[in-house]
Amino acid sequence: MFRSVLVLLFFANLCANAFAAVGCSLNDPDRDVKRLFPESTGYRTTFVTIKEAGGEALERDIEERLGDKFDTVYESPDVPYAYYTVLKGKDVIGRIHGVNQKGQYGGLQLILATDPAGRIVGFYYQKISSPESAVFRNKAFTDLFKGLSLEDFSAYDVKEGAANEGRVSKIQDPSKNSGEDFRATLRGIKKNLILLDVFLHAPESGLGKEGGK
Amino acid sequence: MTWLSVAFKNLARKKVRSLLTIGGVAIAVAVLVSLLGFDAGYQRALTGNIDKMGYQVLVTAKGCPYEAATLMLQGGGGLRYMDEAIYEKIVKDPRIEKITPQLVATAFDKERQGGQGGVVLYMGIDPSYLALKPWATFKTGGWFSGDEADEAIMGYEVAELEQRLPGDQIFIPNVDKVLKVVGIFNRTGTQDDGVIFLPLKTAQRIFGLPGKLTGIGIKLKDLGTLGDFEEDLYNEPGIQVISMAQVKGTIFNLIASARTMTNAVALIAVVIAVIGVINTILMSVFERTKEIGVMKAIGASRLDIFRIIWMETTLICLIGGIAGDMMAIAGTHAVEFILRRVLPYAPSGQLVFITLRLLGISFIGAVIMGLIAGIYPAFRASSMRPVEAIRLGD
Repeated sequence: MFRSVLVLLFFANLCANAFAAVGCSLNDPDRDVKRLFPESTGYRTTFVTIKEAGGEALERDIEERLGDKFDTVYESPDVPYAYYTVLKGKDVIGRIHGVNQKGQYGGLQLILATDPAGRIVGFYYQKISSPESAVFRNKAFTDLFKGLSLEDFSAYDVKEGAANEGRVSKIQDPSKNSGEDFRATLRGIKKNLILLDVFLHAPESGLGKEGGK
Repeated sequence: MTWLSVAFKNLARKKVRSLLTIGGVAIAVAVLVSLLGFDAGYQRALTGNIDKMGYQVLVTAKGCPYEAATLMLQGGGGLRYMDEAIYEKIVKDPRIEKITPQLVATAFDKERQGGQGGVVLYMGIDPSYLALKPWATFKTGGWFSGDEADEAIMGYEVAELEQRLPGDQIFIPNVDKVLKVVGIFNRTGTQDDGVIFLPLKTAQRIFGLPGKLTGIGIKLKDLGTLGDFEEDLYNEPGIQVISMAQVKGTIFNLIASARTMTNAVALIAVVIAVIGVINTILMSVFERTKEIGVMKAIGASRLDIFRIIWMETTLICLIGGIAGDMMAIAGTHAVEFILRRVLPYAPSGQLVFITLRLLGISFIGAVIMGLIAGIYPAFRASSMRPVEAIRLGD
């Protein structure tokens, strides 16, 4: 019985850990930062919430720019967003930031690496629950987002799931039956870029101070 | 001038030394309160967790007790299965008040645990599950539309992690199955918060286990019949019976050994604090030898001197006790945070449970500690002969 209980305790702990993390920070910041920016020499981490950076007014502003309402349960203003300001010496060479986005079969964790001007230099799914997760994770698909910036997403209507013009309109759904995940991906990336832009310009966030260059 | 103000003034002469001694007592009291609070909190949380399983007896397939144990907590891997016919047989027993069959299945999801992969638990249940666990209420949505519906009810935490709401879909890796979410349970504070529930028959079909169960949870009408009931079930072939009382007893035995260690640590902290207090007051007495001699020469009695020194010691411990209680309260969250990271198993719920009674006892304990610690220095001081004390003081 003694040994049984030990196993019980072990498994209980294992299961508890499985549901411990809900936010969208990097799984292994040291490894992930180096992989996305091999030339980096360090990074700084900042956690920002919409509530702290500007509250309800800021939330409305973000929703307007996004063209969609936030989910009241999973996109509440007190959700902390993690920003990794990547440094080479004292110079900021980019940022890494992720968002949780509701997908077709589960939560998506979308991670963007951007240069100091806000252009995407890397994108990957940190988490995606889908029967077609492999096609979404395929480099041929994720590389399509390289070079895009918030400006490119301005023509993308997240409610309609379509863009009439521009580079985003050329990105095709790689899946057969997971169109909702494709649209969720584009919504999540647009939201991610808007949040970065907003937080960089909100003095309360503290992010703009770090990214001086 | 009162005895108290005299004692205060004496302590204030060497502020740093007095504060350090008070700090030592405060730390000892804070450690004592935190450890005793942890002892009480852990037992309370664990009892709550086990009680919230809802059943007094769990019947599982005969086999390795490790598997039975993992099943008890909420499933685990490498499970054994028994025939549903056993449930049909047991369910007719008149001693049973409530009974629920369960089929636990696991699927490895490589997306879990920060990309390292983790086990997702699925539990096939029928409506009797809610009867056995009345606290399992719906946050949103409701029960399955049918016994074999491709639907799921999610525990609070797993729904939050996957951002699911009723009407959404979930994907079960390994078996490549998509289910519709119909309900989300409120937080229960148990491991059920991380489980995805399916109709029993759906779980049997999806995981290729028709007519199989992993466990049967049972609550008896009269707990007094537990012994006989267990005895009868032991005679059934292919199954084993685990009573929650047995599990609770084993865990508490485990805790008892840990409690001895923590109590020893607390005792050592207290002893060190007492030695520190005696040392401080003795130093103070030796430094004031001449002063004590003069006091006696002008009429102070042995009792007067004893009372002053004793009062100083008690004051140190009294202030240290209050500060220690405050430190323990302020540090509750920090202690709990650390414990949750170092303990092999931490039940859900408040791990450090500090009550007013505990604070009161520790405070009174600190005062008693002061009274005891002050006896020797006070005796030394009161025993000094005036002429000798004045001469030595020079």
